[in-house]
Amino acid sequence: MGEILSKILTYIFVIIIYLFIYAIIRMIYFDIRAMNRKKSGGLADAYLKLINLRRDLDFNIDESYELEDDEVIGRGAKCTLRLPDKYLSVRHCRIYKADGSFFIEDLDSTNGTFLNGDELGDEAVELIDGDKISIGRLNFIFVMPKGVDE
Amino acid sequence: MSYARSMKPLFYIILLNAVGAALISISGGARSPEALVLTGAICVVSIICYTVVSFAGFGDPYLFLIISMLGSVGGIMQLRIRTAYGVRQLKWFLLGTACYFLAMLIFLAMRKILPRLTPLYVGVSVALYAATLVFGRTSHGSRNWIVIGGDNGLSIQPSELIRIFFVLTLAAIFTAQPDKNSKKKKKADGDKPFGLRPNAARLLSASAVTAVNLGFLLLQREWGIALLFFATYFFFIYVYGASRGYLLLNAAAAVGVGAVSLKYMGHIQTRVEAWLNPFADASGKGYQITQSLFAIGEGGFVGRGIGEGSVYFIPEVHSDFIFSAICEEMGILGGFAIVMLYFVLTYRGFKIALACTNRFNKAVAFGLSLMLGLQSFIIIGGVTKMIPLTGITLPFISYGGSSMLTTFAAYGILQAISALKEETTDEL
Amino acid sequence: MNSNKKIVVTLVFMCALFFSVFIYLTYFQLFKADDLVSSNYNRRLWEKEESVLRGSILDRGGLVLAESEVENGSQKRVYPYGSLYAHVIGYNTRSYGKTNLELSFNDYLLKTESLTEIIQYGMDMGTENGELKRGCDLITTIDHDLMRTAASAMNGRNGAVVAIVPSTGEVVCLYSGPSFDPNEDELVKNWADLSEDENSPFLPRATKGLYAPGSTFKIAVAAAALENGYDDFTVDDEGSVKIDGRVFRNAGGSEYGEIGLREGFKHSSNVFFSRLGVELGAETLKKAAEDFMITKKIPFDIETSASAWSYGSDMGKTELASVGIGQGKLLTTPLNMAVVAAAVANDGIMMKPYLVQSVVSPNGVSVYEAEPEAFGRVAPAVVTDALGDYMLACVESGTGVNARIRGIDVAGKTGTAQNEREGRDHAWFVGFAPKDDPQIAVAVFQEYSGSSGGAACAPIARKIMQQWLEG
Repeated sequence: MGEILSKILTYIFVIIIYLFIYAIIRMIYFDIRAMNRKKSGGLADAYLKLINLRRDLDFNIDESYELEDDEVIGRGAKCTLRLPDKYLSVRHCRIYKADGSFFIEDLDSTNGTFLNGDELGDEAVELIDGDKISIGRLNFIFVMPKGVDE
Repeated sequence: MSYARSMKPLFYIILLNAVGAALISISGGARSPEALVLTGAICVVSIICYTVVSFAGFGDPYLFLIISMLGSVGGIMQLRIRTAYGVRQLKWFLLGTACYFLAMLIFLAMRKILPRLTPLYVGVSVALYAATLVFGRTSHGSRNWIVIGGDNGLSIQPSELIRIFFVLTLAAIFTAQPDKNSKKKKKADGDKPFGLRPNAARLLSASAVTAVNLGFLLLQREWGIALLFFATYFFFIYVYGASRGYLLLNAAAAVGVGAVSLKYMGHIQTRVEAWLNPFADASGKGYQITQSLFAIGEGGFVGRGIGEGSVYFIPEVHSDFIFSAICEEMGILGGFAIVMLYFVLTYRGFKIALACTNRFNKAVAFGLSLMLGLQSFIIIGGVTKMIPLTGITLPFISYGGSSMLTTFAAYGILQAISALKEETTDEL
Repeated sequence: MNSNKKIVVTLVFMCALFFSVFIYLTYFQLFKADDLVSSNYNRRLWEKEESVLRGSILDRGGLVLAESEVENGSQKRVYPYGSLYAHVIGYNTRSYGKTNLELSFNDYLLKTESLTEIIQYGMDMGTENGELKRGCDLITTIDHDLMRTAASAMNGRNGAVVAIVPSTGEVVCLYSGPSFDPNEDELVKNWADLSEDENSPFLPRATKGLYAPGSTFKIAVAAAALENGYDDFTVDDEGSVKIDGRVFRNAGGSEYGEIGLREGFKHSSNVFFSRLGVELGAETLKKAAEDFMITKKIPFDIETSASAWSYGSDMGKTELASVGIGQGKLLTTPLNMAVVAAAVANDGIMMKPYLVQSVVSPNGVSVYEAEPEAFGRVAPAVVTDALGDYMLACVESGTGVNARIRGIDVAGKTGTAQNEREGRDHAWFVGFAPKDDPQIAVAVFQEYSGSSGGAACAPIARKIMQQWLEG
């Protein structure tokens, strides 16, 4: 019996090493992505600018985040934009681009998503340059320098 | 960095230790409570260190995670080979962790003066070599051990420690700020064809230091470390501006030394013969390598199971040949996993070097990660007969205190450099 | 920064180094490891072998042909019939490794239990009293009595006797001579002499000896003629014929006059078949040889040599004529010719020959069972029917009369193949019986016999067939 059991456990042992490597590489990947976001400022259509004072927050956060065509913001590992604020839901809200405009949508977050002080309902709302977005303890300004279409 | 760190890797380390402990206990015989406590301790230490590094802002959080993983695999394999080895190995690991942070703190504290200590590095290295030659003890054809306190005393392999000094020396030489004298000299001799490019003095002193190191190592017959030093030196001069001609000259010199030693030194001849045709003398010169290859071959892709292999047929299985044992029991897929861990570790080291803005720190980070990556390749390639076998340890997995502690210290320095990098980017 | 770029290059180099380990190890494991681990220096092999009492090898009736005994704590392989089975079972030694069945079924001989048993009873059975676990036994298709008859009939002459059950492909007799004693003590004692012996006792002639098939190849040529509408092809046989300047003669210079395929086959007329070969042409001849597997290696339970057809698509007339009578650059094994005879006997369907009937675990559970398997059809049944008639005529009143058995229709074909030794022709006989309900197909071969197939081999084939049909 021992032979087969130790074989199976050995497989598990090796698989754990691979899972570990996968987890590390994934983290590194997110790291690099975050770094690239930081570096290539100004090239994207739109970005979120933090208006909290960073020293008021007890976690690390960047001054600005570029927005790609579809971003899910939240605390969870699967979010495209991960923010470590514990007042955020795992999947908090989504900002996406459609017909040249950006829209924001709440993803049933516990503490809600606020646009210029008003809590978002079930429907997505179009974002305009200068809108203030509040999620958890974080406040951002939505910046879209080039304007919409036209 | 700006997001919650995943706890998954830690979870896997704990899981791996648990599965490993289960494997060790079902494989019969050795059921040492001490071993269980120690594997538990490894998990706890990993959690603490990871948390400390992540939240105290000590820079790169991956280094220690990967090292913990390698150390855990090494500990399990040592326990499987012999409980006593495993227990001692795990203790070395815990002690190594202390070395890691100690080295980190020392580097952080002394970072301003370290670039100017070239003579000290060379001096300490030479002193260690001399001590080895005078007091050293020969084992397996290499005179590389110093034993303190009789037969059961502490054995130290000074060359393991010299690795760090060697990298520091090269880094200091290549990033030294030219003083006024040499600047004048440069201007005066600017048009002459030889030795007068700004870099020439550095290249020559680096070559001289390397030659001294190699000389001592060859006297001690430490071919593995000599090869490692030369390869590290070679990439250093490549990165720090040696011309193609100078690189070729160095390569030619290495080939020359190799050819001469091949002709006149029986020790080297034996190794090359055993590499080219191990079966010509499979019970003699080729014994180690053939037994290693049998182990890898029997392991196949998925291995025979931890505790099920016949690893005791492999000579030196707990130190240089540990990778063969891993391949026999976990298959080459297990071996691939180990190689990938070393690769990710090397990658992180290079990444730290690339992100670094301080020239000296950059050179140190580059040198250490290059050297340790090369070291794992040299021994893995050696035991699989990809390249001639030269005795050298597999970092964090091979049994041995000197190797464990000094490798930990080397990565501790890398950790310090990555912490400094964060400091600077935050300031900017 | 410039140094950053070079650091990246170094990183890429490191990446390549690590990646090369992956490639090297995969290559090593796929192509090198299997050969390597079977080295005698691999102590794991002995360890594995010593931990299991190697299974026995039995004949079809359950007679033990090879078994292992424990002597002073180590195992010893015993072959009670000495040299008789050295070319079937082979040997199992530490000094010289393994051959034949001992090699190809090694894993089974060391396999201690089947998967179903593990599920049924759990593992680690039969280890009480510190006794060794037993490996599985091989039950072969070999008939020991036929082997003994073959050995005594060959009477020490070099050659081979192969007998096959045509409907299944079971090999019931696989005799090769000369042979050697495979018991390890004897082997160690005689190794040097055996390796230098000019009779090559280490060559398993039945499976690995390559010889010109001579007139037995006319079976394939006749099949090709019948298939391609040369039923009415006739030749005026004047005892010899000149083709492109080369003279082809009948054996003994006999003249048969105006003959067709049937008469030509019966008398094994070289004049007729050399002319027929030219007539059929390269492509048809090659296809006939291919159909009867005379260009290929026969897959078998032990190692075999591939038969050789060493012509390109362009063949001269003399070459065509030579092949027509089974000479030329054409080589085959006795096993291959037995398979040819069996295919004709089995209405044109060639069965894959096999040597191991089943593998049985120590608890009597079957872990391997041979299934009769067809290679395919070598010729339509009408053609093989006609061939059967020709072969019957050959034994009744042609060159093969020495194979005649009272009361049984025997079909056969003789062959006398010229070779590099002048006057020392190889002798062949292939055939099957009874003609209308074939129970056995045989190939008998004598190396450098010097006499004709009809004289040297037909009587041996007769004995084998008779014994099988009576037994």
